[in-house]
Amino acid sequence: MISITGLRKSFGAATVLNGIDLEIRQGEVVSVLGSSGSGKSTLIRCINGLEKIDAGKITVDGFDVSKPRELSEARKRSGTVFQLFNLYPHMTAVQNVALAPIEVLKLPRMQAEAEARELLHSVGLTERADAYPSQLSGGQRQRVGICRALAMKPSYLLLDEVTSALDPEMTSEVLSILAALAKTGTTMVFVTHEIEFARSISSRIAFLDKGQLIADLPTEEFFSATGMALPRVAQFLSKMRKD
Amino acid sequence: MRYGDFTPFDIVLLLQGLGVSLALFVSTTLIGLFIGTVWAVIRFYRVPVLMQLVTFVAELLKNSPVLVQLFLVFFGLPAFLKINVTPTEAAVITLSGNSAAFIYVIAVSAIESVGRDQIEAARVFGLTRWQILRRVIAPQATAFAIGPLTGLLVNQLQVTSLISVIGVMDLTKVGNILNLRTLKPFLVWTAVGLLYYLTAKLVTYAGARFEKRLRAHTAWKGL
Ligand SMILES: Nc1ncnc2c1ncn2[C@@H]1O[C@H](COP(=O)(O)OP(=O)(O)OP(=O)(O)O)[C@@H](O)[C@H]1O
Ligand SMILES: [Mg+2]
Repeated sequence: MISITGLRKSFGAATVLNGIDLEIRQGEVVSVLGSSGSGKSTLIRCINGLEKIDAGKITVDGFDVSKPRELSEARKRSGTVFQLFNLYPHMTAVQNVALAPIEVLKLPRMQAEAEARELLHSVGLTERADAYPSQLSGGQRQRVGICRALAMKPSYLLLDEVTSALDPEMTSEVLSILAALAKTGTTMVFVTHEIEFARSISSRIAFLDKGQLIADLPTEEFFSATGMALPRVAQFLSKMRKD
Repeated sequence: MRYGDFTPFDIVLLLQGLGVSLALFVSTTLIGLFIGTVWAVIRFYRVPVLMQLVTFVAELLKNSPVLVQLFLVFFGLPAFLKINVTPTEAAVITLSGNSAAFIYVIAVSAIESVGRDQIEAARVFGLTRWQILRRVIAPQATAFAIGPLTGLLVNQLQVTSLISVIGVMDLTKVGNILNLRTLKPFLVWTAVGLLYYLTAKLVTYAGARFEKRLRAHTAWKGL
């Protein structure tokens, strides 16, 4: 379980997350929605320990991310997929995927690379396994990014707008992989602007507004009268649907 | 044969001088690479005190003439510490320190050239700072550094000629001797210059080859 209580985060004078309480249990797919600047990326970066939190507590399976000794354990349990892929440009797809298993899990190289190839095969990249990121399309790069996260066999996947740098065709190729993952019971925290897709795969929707979690509802409730009763949610959804 | 004529032995003398210059160049480059890289790693880890010390020393070495540093080591150290410093030792110490300072600068900017986002990715997957340095930063930083490093080394090769003033028998010193004996400065210095030129070309060529290999291997179209 990822457990967030009383989370606060500021950058200088700007409070970006202002008292967040959120729990993500094993097997859930929680989509995080909210307008631009509401703090969604910051929330993800706090969970994976890229940002130091100012107050509150985040634990991943009980490991406190603000304690350096526990952070490495917490990080073994969650895998992050980035908006801009963040692949290592000097490594092939296989090497990108196998790096952390080799260095962190201490798997033998042969085994790690064999597993990496299998993962790449499962997302349709069998032929591109030995290509460098610069030789791949955006959609292919993001599929490598997903494999890289999955290679650590994480209990939780953190995804921050993983399709927003992709064109529609590539978006659908990545989304179909995520939908398949959701079906197999992978736990996900999914930051997105793809409202309809979020609705189709999520068990719950968390809605952030100006650094506060103003809704945390089961998906269908969020999209029904309960969600619409919240002015900010109604406003957000009508705006998103217009675009 | 008169005293002032060239003899076949002069070729041997020139080659010996070249050998001394090359040996100094190679050894001080290796020492400089080692020290400069260690300094850059100290900075990467932000080791308190040591990091400030390194920056300070590098600044001193970069911003004062090598000849002055050489005199300080050769004449100053013995007077100050009451130890004996041979010309070769003084040359090795001075040139190594000087190379280290410039290599440090190149290494720091090469490390900083590697994108933050990849480093964040590596951190999130639990790699330690050392693993990130070794597996993510170093390969890319090396490819980045080869160009500036080649330029620096070509320059450092020329700088070795300064050590002739304290009596090391390098290529320039041999040129000096031959010149005094034959009184044919144009011929002598042309030959000496040509030898430096060819060696410098060799360094440039090796650097370009190495860079090409690194980039072909990585297919990294950075910069
Ligand atoms: N490193 C930083 N330094 C200063 N301010 C930051 C930093 N990172 C984020 N912010 C600010 O925090 C706020 C929330 O940013 P965040 O990236 O979390 O929003 P978001 O919900 O992900 O937005 P988007 O939908 O556009 O990605 C923004 O106002 C942003 O300018
Ligand atoms: Mg964002």
